[in-house]
Amino acid sequence: MLGQTLFISSVIILAYALAKWRKLSVELSMFIAAVAGALAGAIFKTPALLEIPRHLVEGAFTYLDVILVFFTATLFITIVQESSGVNFAVRSAVVHFARTRFLALFLLMIIVLIPGALTGAGSVSLLVVGAPVALALRGLGVSENKIPAILFILAGLAAAAPPVNIWAMVLCAGTAIPYVGFELPLGIPVIILGTLTILILGRRQVETGSLQEFLDKIEINPGMNWFRLLTPFIVFFGLVIAYRLFPFYFPILGLPLEFLIASAVAYFLSPVKLNLIRVASSTISKLLPLLATMVIVGMLQQIMAASGVKGLISYAVLIIPLGLLFFLLPFIIPVSEGVLTYGGAAIIGIPLVWYLNSLGYHATIVISGLSLLWPLGDGLPPTALIGRLSVMISGYKGSYWQFLKQTWIPWIIITLAGIFMILFSSKLSFLVTG
Amino acid sequence: MSRTTARFKIITALIFLIFLIAGGWPLKKHRDFPVEIVCGPGVTDIKKLSDFFPALKGSVADTYVFVLEGKEPGGKALIMGNTHANEPEGLLSVAIMIENAVVEKGTLYLIPFFNRSASLNTRPGEGYPLYFSITTPWGKKTFRMGNRDASPLDQWPDPDIYIHYPEKQMLSYLDIRNTNRTWPGRKNGLPMEQVTYAAMELLRQEKVDLAIDLHGAETMFPVTNCIVAPEKSMRIATLASLTVKSMEGFENHLESSPEKFRGLSHREIGDYSETLPFLLEAPIPFLDQPTGPKTEKLFLDGQDEFLLSLAKRKKLFVPYDESGWPLEKRVGQHLSVSLEIIRQYSRKTPARAIIIKNVPRYAEVVRNGVGYYFHNPAEAEMDKVIKH
Repeated sequence: MLGQTLFISSVIILAYALAKWRKLSVELSMFIAAVAGALAGAIFKTPALLEIPRHLVEGAFTYLDVILVFFTATLFITIVQESSGVNFAVRSAVVHFARTRFLALFLLMIIVLIPGALTGAGSVSLLVVGAPVALALRGLGVSENKIPAILFILAGLAAAAPPVNIWAMVLCAGTAIPYVGFELPLGIPVIILGTLTILILGRRQVETGSLQEFLDKIEINPGMNWFRLLTPFIVFFGLVIAYRLFPFYFPILGLPLEFLIASAVAYFLSPVKLNLIRVASSTISKLLPLLATMVIVGMLQQIMAASGVKGLISYAVLIIPLGLLFFLLPFIIPVSEGVLTYGGAAIIGIPLVWYLNSLGYHATIVISGLSLLWPLGDGLPPTALIGRLSVMISGYKGSYWQFLKQTWIPWIIITLAGIFMILFSSKLSFLVTG
Repeated sequence: MSRTTARFKIITALIFLIFLIAGGWPLKKHRDFPVEIVCGPGVTDIKKLSDFFPALKGSVADTYVFVLEGKEPGGKALIMGNTHANEPEGLLSVAIMIENAVVEKGTLYLIPFFNRSASLNTRPGEGYPLYFSITTPWGKKTFRMGNRDASPLDQWPDPDIYIHYPEKQMLSYLDIRNTNRTWPGRKNGLPMEQVTYAAMELLRQEKVDLAIDLHGAETMFPVTNCIVAPEKSMRIATLASLTVKSMEGFENHLESSPEKFRGLSHREIGDYSETLPFLLEAPIPFLDQPTGPKTEKLFLDGQDEFLLSLAKRKKLFVPYDESGWPLEKRVGQHLSVSLEIIRQYSRKTPARAIIIKNVPRYAEVVRNGVGYYFHNPAEAEMDKVIKH
């Protein structure tokens, strides 16, 4: 079986490499890798040849809910943007906080953390507040190449922040550990690491021209005001919070509908008459590569599971000696996220938590530590979901690798924090309350 | 748009459509595939969960409750399978009881598809087979392989976080479709909360003494091959565990139901009714992450080289060798432990005793195979065959 799964894995890697060599897009390369893996698997009837279309179609639906959130959230922020709400917010923020720069950066960090903390998705942070925050950072003199790096790291920390951390929830659901007591083990590191990130990446103020010049570049529709800008956001967060406050009385709308309602409010309050069809079409065009990635990652995961490659990855991690495992975790965990997104938590995380727990490591702290490492993988190919969103939203013009290189210092600090939390989980167990 | 581009787009769209139909059609067939259960001589009534909570009537979530009432009054027990439809050992154990059991004293309520919607669902991203077949003396009997959670076609949208009723514990958003996280249920809740609410109504209205929820778990999961019970059920669980070990030669250790983990049957049934709850876990290698291909064979025989290698490195929580952990052992364990729980309760409470005959125990199932106990629907009377 090892030989069989190694062969299929090699075919998948080779097909991906060949497709990239032929300069095909990430999405098409992954699709070709998935089909090649399925065909290689069919030699051993894992899966059977006639089952391949079913596996591909079924796998395509793995992340349908995430895709819906991405689309509706982007539609929402595009409407806010086109109604000049984003420019209005940035102009006001920069004018008010230009003199107290650290406080401004800290507040921007909190603004990025909140949507992700509430929804568990760093993408929501970026899609909802990423664009105005990027502009505000520019206004505060943060250099162009540092802005996507700050957004990426903060969006990752937002996803890891309590109360909703999807990796921790996947692990808790899979390991039958209650999702309680994560507030401090997740909250404290997220705030400390977020602050360090803005200090490290945002401390140097570069010359971006005079403040007035910058402000002049930001066009604002005279009809835009705080009421028109804030009401759609208040509606969105109101809906999110209302369910938490009155869970048994408030209807479950789901994030996509909550974003659509907020979009409708933004549309009706816009001082500019918007063409909704055009806005929706441009949103789809903008998001298509990302949505395609989510569809194809699901297909690839399904083929990898049906052919045994997914199991091989999990097995390979578990046979690594413990000392070496700790050394390799900073690589294994982010890479698993880059390849499998949340699937990595299930495939590697669940057996890993059971294994470490059986050796006396404190499960809640271990999960919290791992939860800091997984978001880093959202910057790694082939998926690089949050990384690509950060680049897209900040309007960064450089190459993807140049962007990624900017993240290295906070990346290492976050990695060390996560690994130390796992290694000293027993000593940190006092953080677990409830 | 040039003619070449238009032609390319049309051909691509056609290929996509063919691909979608070829891949989607098997999924549609899976959802429509009926599993047949032949009512045995002990079945005295067939109800539905909606008989205990009418709001479920006509919904996909409504499910059959087979009643086996003895001639002599006594205690009552409810046994549920397919709470998680990707752990079908429970379904098979309950189906064997429906097709064979005769109750002499007391009453048995049997629910083979507790989360019916989950049994109609598949598990995207996990590469499961759509069906599994069991060899019987009269041919193959085929079952749907389901998912852990109810289908989004039947309950959607999910909240961004699931807040458990009534304890307000936050759980993964997916767990709102997991009928082992929605106990004790909610009258005005979502369909899966209503399923568990209906089951609680059954327990309360019928004054059921014992509730047994049949599950399966990974070999790498510490809570596997065991009986999970709260404090009030622990004495009976302990006696059952010791007895099957000494009399039938297999391990089934005890796990206490954690008070802080809400929504599970072994916790909420006990806390919100007079019934004594038990949750049985049989090891299913198929569910483990580090396995080879997710095939029907792996599901049936439980043999896997990766797990064998991990067992040698002492990373599994159950004994595991070349023979794997076949379906017969898993179903046999569930049957024996269920019978033993009922027997121990009957010994302790003679006035509420439940006496069941014709249900095979562990050794018999291991010897004869699971399929041996299923009857041919083609030869049964029409009104005795339930398709679900």
